[in-house]
Amino acid sequence: MKPLVTPKKKWPYVVVIAICLFYITPLLMTGLYAFSESWGKTVLPDKLTIHWFVVLFKDPYFLQAVLRSFMLSIGMLVVILALMIPSVFLLFLYFPKLDKAVQSLTMMPYAIPGVILVTALLKTYSKSAIPMLVVLGGALFISCLPVMYMSIRNSLIAVNTKELMEAGAMLGAHPFSIIVKVILPNLRIGIVLSSLMVFSGLFGEYVLTNLLVGGRFETLRIYMLRRMNENGHLASSVIVIYFIVLMLVGLGINYLSHKQKSKSSISTNKMKLNNKKRKQSVKESPLIPFSDQLKEGI
Amino acid sequence: MKKKIVIGWLLVPVTLVVSLFLVIPLVYMLLSSFKQDGTQAWTINNYLQAVSNPYYYQAFFNSGWIALVSSLVGILLASLFCQALLQLPDKLQEKLTLFSNLAANFAGVPLAFGFIILFGNAGIFKLIFPEWLQFDLYSWKGLVLTYVYFQIPLATLFLYPVLKKVQKNWQESAELLGASNFYYIRKVVFPYVLPAMSGTFAILFANGMGTYETAYALVGSNINLITTRIGALVAGDVYAKPNVGSALAVLFALSMILVIALSQKFMTQMRRVTE
Repeated sequence: MKPLVTPKKKWPYVVVIAICLFYITPLLMTGLYAFSESWGKTVLPDKLTIHWFVVLFKDPYFLQAVLRSFMLSIGMLVVILALMIPSVFLLFLYFPKLDKAVQSLTMMPYAIPGVILVTALLKTYSKSAIPMLVVLGGALFISCLPVMYMSIRNSLIAVNTKELMEAGAMLGAHPFSIIVKVILPNLRIGIVLSSLMVFSGLFGEYVLTNLLVGGRFETLRIYMLRRMNENGHLASSVIVIYFIVLMLVGLGINYLSHKQKSKSSISTNKMKLNNKKRKQSVKESPLIPFSDQLKEGI
Repeated sequence: MKKKIVIGWLLVPVTLVVSLFLVIPLVYMLLSSFKQDGTQAWTINNYLQAVSNPYYYQAFFNSGWIALVSSLVGILLASLFCQALLQLPDKLQEKLTLFSNLAANFAGVPLAFGFIILFGNAGIFKLIFPEWLQFDLYSWKGLVLTYVYFQIPLATLFLYPVLKKVQKNWQESAELLGASNFYYIRKVVFPYVLPAMSGTFAILFANGMGTYETAYALVGSNINLITTRIGALVAGDVYAKPNVGSALAVLFALSMILVIALSQKFMTQMRRVTE
């Protein structure tokens, strides 16, 4: 019989490195293009420069576009989270039949390309009293629906929500306190991941924004495309900044989630205050913190 | 029962948004697909054109083929990626999934631009490896390669949480009971992840079919794809035929719904077999 503790394998590292290389190379090349003065038929660019970034930051349209993109994405993310988390949760727990029906309905935005949604929306609302920015909000909501719904639902399944609710109810806890003290903390990683995905999707949305409001509300992505038709180097420097923003947001969310995690592990594991032990508590099977929180909830 | 009705009221906001911005416009589109462009008279001419004009039905086949290949490659590489990730230390896993999710946003025009620098006619990759000179980025193979870039992180987002739940102690128990590694994967892991796999596949396929921006930036109208075709018909400059576009969109939507319905039927059947 094989030993239970398997020795360290090399193949996972090979696979992960290969896929990460595939992820990172086009990004890296775009970055290099942004910093190069000119780049012809050579492996490396002729001369490096920050000229394109200077041009960019002197452009008031660029700064306005960044601000608009931020306002739009954060506003929509808040609306989506506020509406979607309770709805998916309720459907999943209390309306299983409806949940099944909704599962196929949320796939519908995938079946409708953005262009068509836009045409349909324009036909319906362009002559109405509803401002196009609101229509854009609705269109963005619809476009984020599948990812948001599926990922919240997947995490609900992954943390055994139904079983946890039943277990909590059997122990006499109010459903609300089970949700707040047990389910939500466990959903955190799933929600953070899907928020990241949705925020970045919103931040980089092009088709809907451009066709519904277009030049009247120039977001970063629309600006990027306008610049791309003029100058490849300038466009790639916009792409670089766009990615730095996304990266910072991603790291920020990640940092906050870690902070939250260590906070909850302090409050639940008061005995494990020293650093070394706290590290251990993170590595423990997630079921142990669950049961601690459950006890506190009751 | 009374409690359920109270809870039901909480679903009203989402229902309202979905009907205002999805259902009603869709009905509008369906109606306009039965109207002649220009005269607005009722007709089925738009649908007849969609199935008889090779220009239109080939767009379906091209899109379907590219979506199929890119989803298969994507889901395969993503499963491999997730499996590999799960062997790594927890902290590294978290960092890499974050990275993967960030990479998922490198789609559309920036992605096309990045790939043109790499694999375009004077691409760097081609200069370093001359044997790749044959590779044409502006062909269906180039589109597949580019699509795979955003299919892997998308599949990872859905598969990783499910694969993470395949616990090590299951394998240990299976081994203790005398199961071989292959038998364990076939009888324990495979049935467990299959519903998630087929659901993910449906999403990837639909995502591949529906991609507009990346395809448009990369090949324009050189490759006849359903999304760029509809786009040209609906928002085209000279020969805009929005109602033919609507008819194509309805057919497109129906075929996607069929794919998703089939995958769900397959899922429930598999569950019945395994239970």
